[in-house]
Amino acid sequence: MFARALREERRGLIGWSVGIATYCVAMLSVFPTIHGNRAFAKIFEAYPEVFRKLFNVADFTTGPGYLGAEIFSVIAPMLLALFAILWGSDLAAGEEDRGTIDLLLANPVSRRRVVLEKWSALAVGTVGLGAVLELTLGVLGPLFSLSVGWAGLSAAVIGSAAFALAFATLALAVGASSGKRGLARGVATALAVASYLLSALAPLVSAFQRVAWLSLWDQALGHQPLTTGLRVGNLGVLAVVVVALLAVSLWGYDRRDLTT
Amino acid sequence: MIPASPATEAAGSSPGVAVTPGRAVDAGPRRAPGGLPVRGEAPIALAGVTKLYRGGGGVRELTLEVGWGEVFGFLGPNGAGKTTTIRLLLDLIRPQRGAVRLFGLDARRDAAAIHRRLGYLPGDLALYERLSARETFAHFARLRGGPDEATVERWASEFDLDLDRPVRALSRGNRQKVGLVAALMNEPDLLVLDELTIGLDPLVQRTVHRRLREAAASGRTVFLSSHVLSEVAEVADRVGLIKDGRLVAIERVAEIRARAVHAVEVRVGATAGLAGLAGLEGVTVRERVDDGLRLEVVGSLQPLLAALAGLDVVDLSVHEPSLEDVFLSYYDGVAR
Repeated sequence: MFARALREERRGLIGWSVGIATYCVAMLSVFPTIHGNRAFAKIFEAYPEVFRKLFNVADFTTGPGYLGAEIFSVIAPMLLALFAILWGSDLAAGEEDRGTIDLLLANPVSRRRVVLEKWSALAVGTVGLGAVLELTLGVLGPLFSLSVGWAGLSAAVIGSAAFALAFATLALAVGASSGKRGLARGVATALAVASYLLSALAPLVSAFQRVAWLSLWDQALGHQPLTTGLRVGNLGVLAVVVVALLAVSLWGYDRRDLTT
Repeated sequence: MIPASPATEAAGSSPGVAVTPGRAVDAGPRRAPGGLPVRGEAPIALAGVTKLYRGGGGVRELTLEVGWGEVFGFLGPNGAGKTTTIRLLLDLIRPQRGAVRLFGLDARRDAAAIHRRLGYLPGDLALYERLSARETFAHFARLRGGPDEATVERWASEFDLDLDRPVRALSRGNRQKVGLVAALMNEPDLLVLDELTIGLDPLVQRTVHRRLREAAASGRTVFLSSHVLSEVAEVADRVGLIKDGRLVAIERVAEIRARAVHAVEVRVGATAGLAGLAGLEGVTVRERVDDGLRLEVVGSLQPLLAALAGLDVVDLSVHEPSLEDVFLSYYDGVAR
């Protein structure tokens, strides 16, 4: 089932990989004109503080600064999350919706095993997409005179993948407990966006600042992993959230009548 | 009429089937030396099972036992609760009350162990559209631990099924064949087939029926649902009738046949001796015509045929009413 789930998603995986890699290359290709360009630096220095915080433009002319603003501020983590949420919402609810779950479960496999194997495929797929992101930036970056340390890059990619996996598992939990794919998709996407907004606006809105830790985005990416590196504690929080949501998925799926 | 109450038939009561008595059934599909499944508790035992849906429908207080080596036809109009019952057997849905046991195991707790010994054809068959039949079978074979590729090929050629076209390109009948082969290919101890014949042409139906009879003859059990009796009467030993979620009757097919009233018309060259027919067992004279009689015969035609042998019979026609009419008219009162 694990292999089947990955195979089923292979077109999606390839498509998203190509998409993400293309986006990265496009962004990288602009970098040489910005790199070390004092004029750009001045422009951003002239921007209001609020704007710079919001769009994460700290030191736009350096490699990590550029990637932090252009790739990891919103786009890459959100693309990963969107991909993973779409898949996660389909994991349990999809086969139920299409009716194939009847035949699948007529085999000697428990519902828990179905969820666990499919989730494993999702986790591997998400990490795989993260690897595409990392390799594109890490390997092709120097060609565009963008250098970024592997440690920082890995930390940012791992943070993005962990964020994506958390919300994909949320989508799985909602889909497995309700059988409704649309609901799963909607809830997970809305909360992922809310999580980003809470983290992004926290520096500007004092009310948000106090509760920013609630945002999984803040936990995964709030500390600018490109420059500050991996934070094991934060990843631990995400891991606990993922495991808890996975447990909810198993429980919710196991106890329910499956619809025809 | 046999009332629709618990365990009307003892397990393994079919003729010509060796029974290994009293052995507990465990999870694995063990076989006795002769290739027969190891007997034990009934393959299907429902006790007081109730599953009601908020919007109406479902089943109430369903109690039913199906024995080894039996082909059981589960009959009822659409929406009567046939599919609900079958999905309860498969643990796709759970009852509000009552016990669903297969091979003596709990349908929910021991689902995986039960499914190892069970083949299932859903009534509303949904397949993996992008896979070919071969890939579908391979997927299930991996999960079940069999059968091998050669066996799959044999089944496919028996049903004249193209293994390599994607399922979405197959016709209704061919899709049904994919579902059937998936259910049959492991020769499971219990086959649960919901509306088996949807989309199948008569030739394939005959092949399937032969396979089901073979399965029963080797001691395996078949549970098939249909909304038409004639479909199941051909293979079933017993039929149960479900109406509005209640099991209203269980009866042997042979008994239904025996109750069938044949309309017989006989024309003779010489009318002498015709009067004697009226006194035969089960024979009622409905009408006299110029050169013969219109009769109704209940049960066996043998006494009538024996009597006719001595007469100058010019023409003889026998009409059997559909079993449907016999069965349903009989239970009409009960069901309402």
